[in-house]
Amino acid sequence: MIKNWVGFYTLSSREVLRFFTVWKQTIIPGVITTLLYIFVFGVALESRIDPIAPGVSYKMYILPGLLMMNVITNSVANTASSMLQMKLLQTLPELLITPLSSLELSISFIIGGAVRGFVNGFLILLICLMAGMSVQDPISTLFIIFIVSWSFSSLGLFMGQMSDSWDQLSLIQNFVLTPLSFLGGIFYSVNDLPTWGIAISKINPIFYTINALRYSTLGISDAPFINSVAFIIVFCVLLTILAVKTMESGKKIRF
Amino acid sequence: MNEIAINIKNLHKKYDETVYALQGIDLSIKKGEFYGLLGPNGAGKSTTINAITSLVKPTEGNIKVFDKDIVSEFRYARSQIGIAPQEISNDWFFPVEQLLYFQAGFYGIKRKDAEERINFILHKVGLYSHKDKKMRQLSGGMKRRLQIARSLVHDPEILILDEPTAGVDVALRHNLWDFLQELHKEGKTILLTTHYIDEAELLCERVGIINSGKLVAEDTVSNLKASTNKSKLEDVFLALTGRKLDD
Repeated sequence: MIKNWVGFYTLSSREVLRFFTVWKQTIIPGVITTLLYIFVFGVALESRIDPIAPGVSYKMYILPGLLMMNVITNSVANTASSMLQMKLLQTLPELLITPLSSLELSISFIIGGAVRGFVNGFLILLICLMAGMSVQDPISTLFIIFIVSWSFSSLGLFMGQMSDSWDQLSLIQNFVLTPLSFLGGIFYSVNDLPTWGIAISKINPIFYTINALRYSTLGISDAPFINSVAFIIVFCVLLTILAVKTMESGKKIRF
Repeated sequence: MNEIAINIKNLHKKYDETVYALQGIDLSIKKGEFYGLLGPNGAGKSTTINAITSLVKPTEGNIKVFDKDIVSEFRYARSQIGIAPQEISNDWFFPVEQLLYFQAGFYGIKRKDAEERINFILHKVGLYSHKDKKMRQLSGGMKRRLQIARSLVHDPEILILDEPTAGVDVALRHNLWDFLQELHKEGKTILLTTHYIDEAELLCERVGIINSGKLVAEDTVSNLKASTNKSKLEDVFLALTGRKLDD
């Protein structure tokens, strides 16, 4: 239960303010990358690539996946870097001795990452709209962006707490998250893969996040929408519990 | 009158099968007392302090703050303690004043209620004119003063200072001593660890000497001198630990 509401609000605000103070590093890069993808695939390559789904250009097909990749990258990066930076700069002990419970600490950090993921996702959604992408169900779209931000923010907190160096952190990002993002079907339909590829994709959580968003925006998907949303909700709950329980355990932060 | 501020019973800390950081520390610090914890490097001073603030999980034993257990009643216990750690932290993102508002907030103090206290403390530690600077713009001495300011922002009953004058110039050291004596007169309980024997002799009413994770002596400075037939606290320290302070 959250009891220290002022402390909880203060830490959540700190985490949100932290990424806004360095907006050139935390907001602008995702926007620029998406614009580059739109330019390369929309202007330079689109005429050479056959549409994957009928009536949907290749540029439009990849936009929900690009948006989701940005949401995931930003929400993970916020909590992971905040936690690891506090560990390395010795500011974490000063926070751990305050009357904030493990639950209050964890959820405050997660809120910071979730807001960053959502802000990035929302801005990229605006760019996608300007590029001509339709949004069939705006409420579901915003809900999916938020819940995915929350999930990966929780994962980032866990990763930040368990990492001892930037090297360890980037290992997980480069060798786990980036491959999972690319193999989640950003640039292709998993139905075009061989049977084993489809089977592997269906245990990749990022596959469900991309397909849920692709359905809520373009109305097409490789997996039933309800299955994708159910998977994301369960995934979110499990990751939140993992982050809170790891904080409670004090592993690598209390000795 | 004789209320116990910090009560440590049979505190053990073992990091693995061979490293015993603390081996049965028993320590009581009275409310309003100025207590010095002395010991060579690696003796267990910081581990003891970190156990009080729950950064270190004891292997055995328990710690109470004003008779409340620091684990089961952590909110109360932690709200009574302000700590200025040995390591200077570096929060790159926010200016001095904002850091103090955050610190107050973590302790449940709303912004409007914290304003007066923060201005008072900024003046007290001589950082008011630097309140809009970020930590990287502060000198080492200013950073040290900011650590102390942060520890005081929620007006704790107990102040724990882990080598607060390490690496500080003479003028600032004297300035900090005056400030600590003032806080002591106001009734704050102060637990100080230091490598400077003259500092402990000047400030502390009672001194505990810790060596290899054990409290080897504890008394007033004059009683320790008398019981060991030494004229200086430094000689008492060397006699009891068999080492120099900076060994």
